[in-house]
Amino acid sequence: CHTSGMLTPNGKEYAQKIPREELTHLILKLLQAWKEPLSHFNQHHQELPDDSLSKAKQISNMVHELKTGVEKVTEKMQSMGIISNSLNGVASSEAAGLSLGNEADMMSDSDFIHCFRRDSNKVQSYLKILKCRIMPENSC
Amino acid sequence: GQSYPGKPKIIRCHSLEKETFSCWWKPGSDGGLPTNYTLFYSKDSEEKIYECPDYQTSGPNSCYFDKNHTNPRTTYNITITATNDIGSNSSDPQYVDVTSIVRPDAPTNLSLETQASANKMYLWVKWSPPPLDDGSSNSHVYHYELRLKHEQKEEWETISVGVQTQYKVIRLQAGMKYIVQVRCMLDVGEWSEWSSERCIQIPNGESPPEKPTIIKCRSPEKETFTCWWKPGSDGGHPTNYTLLYSKEGEEQVYECPDYRTAGPNSCYFDKKHTSFWTIYNITVRATNEMGSNVSDPHYVDVTYIVQPDPPVNVTLELKKPINRKPYLVLTWSPPPLADVRSGWLTLEYELRLKPEEGEEWETIFVGQQTQYKMFSLNPGKKYIVQIHCKPDHHGSWSEWSSEKYIQIPTDFRVKDMVVWIVVGVLSSLICLIMSWTMVLKGYRMIAVILPPVPGPKIKGIDTHLLETGKSEELLSALGCHGFPPTSDCEELLIEYLEVEDSEDQQLVPSHDNGHPTKNAKMIAKETDSDSGRGSCDSPSLLSEKCRECRTLPPILQTPDVRDVQENKGGKRSWETQCVASEEKILLFNSESTKSSTWPAAQLPNNQPPMFAYHSTTDAQKLTLSTTNVNIAPVLVGNEEKRQSQYPVTETVHNDMEKQREMENLHSKTDQTTVQVKQKRSNDNSPFLHPKLMDYVEVHKVRQDEPAVLLKHKENSGKTEKYTVPGTSKEYTKVSTVMDHNILVLMPDSCIQHASVSQEPAMEMSPNLQQGQAEKNMSYCLTAPSECKRETGGSEYLDPSSFMPSFK
Repeated sequence: CHTSGMLTPNGKEYAQKIPREELTHLILKLLQAWKEPLSHFNQHHQELPDDSLSKAKQISNMVHELKTGVEKVTEKMQSMGIISNSLNGVASSEAAGLSLGNEADMMSDSDFIHCFRRDSNKVQSYLKILKCRIMPENSC
Repeated sequence: GQSYPGKPKIIRCHSLEKETFSCWWKPGSDGGLPTNYTLFYSKDSEEKIYECPDYQTSGPNSCYFDKNHTNPRTTYNITITATNDIGSNSSDPQYVDVTSIVRPDAPTNLSLETQASANKMYLWVKWSPPPLDDGSSNSHVYHYELRLKHEQKEEWETISVGVQTQYKVIRLQAGMKYIVQVRCMLDVGEWSEWSSERCIQIPNGESPPEKPTIIKCRSPEKETFTCWWKPGSDGGHPTNYTLLYSKEGEEQVYECPDYRTAGPNSCYFDKKHTSFWTIYNITVRATNEMGSNVSDPHYVDVTYIVQPDPPVNVTLELKKPINRKPYLVLTWSPPPLADVRSGWLTLEYELRLKPEEGEEWETIFVGQQTQYKMFSLNPGKKYIVQIHCKPDHHGSWSEWSSEKYIQIPTDFRVKDMVVWIVVGVLSSLICLIMSWTMVLKGYRMIAVILPPVPGPKIKGIDTHLLETGKSEELLSALGCHGFPPTSDCEELLIEYLEVEDSEDQQLVPSHDNGHPTKNAKMIAKETDSDSGRGSCDSPSLLSEKCRECRTLPPILQTPDVRDVQENKGGKRSWETQCVASEEKILLFNSESTKSSTWPAAQLPNNQPPMFAYHSTTDAQKLTLSTTNVNIAPVLVGNEEKRQSQYPVTETVHNDMEKQREMENLHSKTDQTTVQVKQKRSNDNSPFLHPKLMDYVEVHKVRQDEPAVLLKHKENSGKTEKYTVPGTSKEYTKVSTVMDHNILVLMPDSCIQHASVSQEPAMEMSPNLQQGQAEKNMSYCLTAPSECKRETGGSEYLDPSSFMPSFK
């Protein structure tokens, strides 16, 4: 996976230990890293049946929206002081993600899908951990 | 050529399990023609011969005796008869004792397995009992025998096994190939055939183990995981198993950190050794003295192999909110190991429930909440509920939690029960009270509900007369035809009762020679009525006189009257008495016409009003003659018969053209006076001849009083009076209408009263001079109450009451 190079916590303890800003950063980076490959995938796989194509399109839209949402939340958190402003904020993650995403041409389709599944799971887990770390009272 | 068939031969009979048996035969030659085979048998030494019950089940040329036909304690004498068109031939008889022919089928499903333990090899032999013909499971107990031999050798080694369906062979030579067979027997009979052969190769002690296989890997809480494998055969030597793994992107191979925690043939990866979002490559190696063998690799990413434990702490709580139906709240906790608090593992729950006796589960997806409200359960029933969970992303469902029983309390229905109980008690109470009342006052109740039919109470009726008298006589006696004047009174014999004021004789139209027309008029008016007019005859007659004459027989019937008279002492006397009274005269005008009333004035003869009296016979005639008549009340006066001058009837007939006139009764004084005019066809003598007044009392007065008082008066002015209803006192008025048929006439004094009560109850014909008519009706009389009414009831019959009946 093109995102394998990212140093991400691969366990619960690690995910709970790293600072929130870093976690947030990672999330955004991941999300950003998939933006390009997804659109690339959609463009190059027009031969797929229509429902698959529409599903793929839907997924890339969701990823985009998720990213936007996380960005907003991050800014809000930063403004509220929940997380610090270090680590260059949103922009840096975006840039890092983009660079990663550009390298994603080589993957085969099965790898692509496999990697995407894994990374979306990662993002989901990190987000949940983050949520419970920031707002523990909310069904955590 | 064709000939009778050859002799069949019974090949064999055998029983599989001593409850059924079959016999097979071999046909002889068929003689060239189609041949039928029948099997006959008899039992023991009985004479009766039976035929085979089932030729099909055991195949061709066979006979199957099922349980119902098989008796192990009898000896069957069996013969086969071959029959064709030409003749038949029977086999020799075969004596079959079921117990001796028992022979089961061979056992089935023979399986062999080697087992190595502690340097030794054992052979496990297993099999199944033979199946029964009808496919049912075999519950018989068989004895088994096993034999084995080396593949190349000739001799079998036979081992008796007993009743088990498995056996462990101990003494085996390694590296040899064995052949095994098994057979069985019941407690009686013969051994079965040997089963088909099974071969097995005994492994040498020195072979490497077989390849193990990895069964599965699971993580219960997304933090650790475990893998299990299944070993192959160990090749005769103790075998070691090692699990090796490597991670994605790494070359390093690690060995399982923990073989124990999760049990035999397993490997437990603790938190430290568990990485997510990486693929593990896991293999198991089996090693023994002879070598080793490695399983196929197994790739696993822990993220996707999460299967939690079932939820715990399943609790039920019954909540009873005010004004709402109670409901159950089911709560549970996530499994203890799952870390839901940190959000690392998010679980979704699903519960299922069914009624205790039910068959199907109802599954409800609950989501991530750990409680559930149940509203729609049936009170009083018991339910079983279970919950399980799964991670919200990839992963598998946990096992179901242990069964939890819910007993829905029945107090949901308490309110309903109370209501029903109250209703039940109240209704039973009411029933009790009602039945009690019925018992106590049954009679009265019945009386209230079904009032008894009142018997007729008629005063003035001579029951004797009624009993003995003939209908015609009755009718005639009634005389008071038309008394309750009905609209079709015409039919009635209208007898006019001319009531004459003693001073006045107006009443008597006929009397008035000078006013025939008037009379006629009057009559005319009165034509159709017999309303009341005629009816008056009888009652009006009586007044005091009648009282005296009480003894008189019921007027109704002349003969009776006669009799009465006789009884009383002679008609004469009666008559005289009555006549003598003078006051009572019943004027009787009968009209000839429509009604049988006597036209009072109508009489062609212009006769003066005549008394309408007649003998019964006359009366009869009268009635008969008139077309629709009601018999004029009758008059009596038979005795006058001898005075032939009163052929009233005849005259009546002839004359009738008009209705009768109703005589108004003039009530004179205190008595209704009715002038009875005697009609005499041929007699012109003044009607009022007292002597001639053999009036009959036509009326029966209902009341005691004499109904009619006749005043005999000769007067010419009466007629006018006639027309005037009720005005003159001369008319008797009806005091009351009794029993809707009887007009009670009032004596003069009573007139006022009487007049009131006119409404002729019955069909008084309105024709009668209007009111007068009615009044006329009234004249029928029943003497007003004040008037004397001594006349006994029996004597008087209110014709009116009879009138309608005549019609």
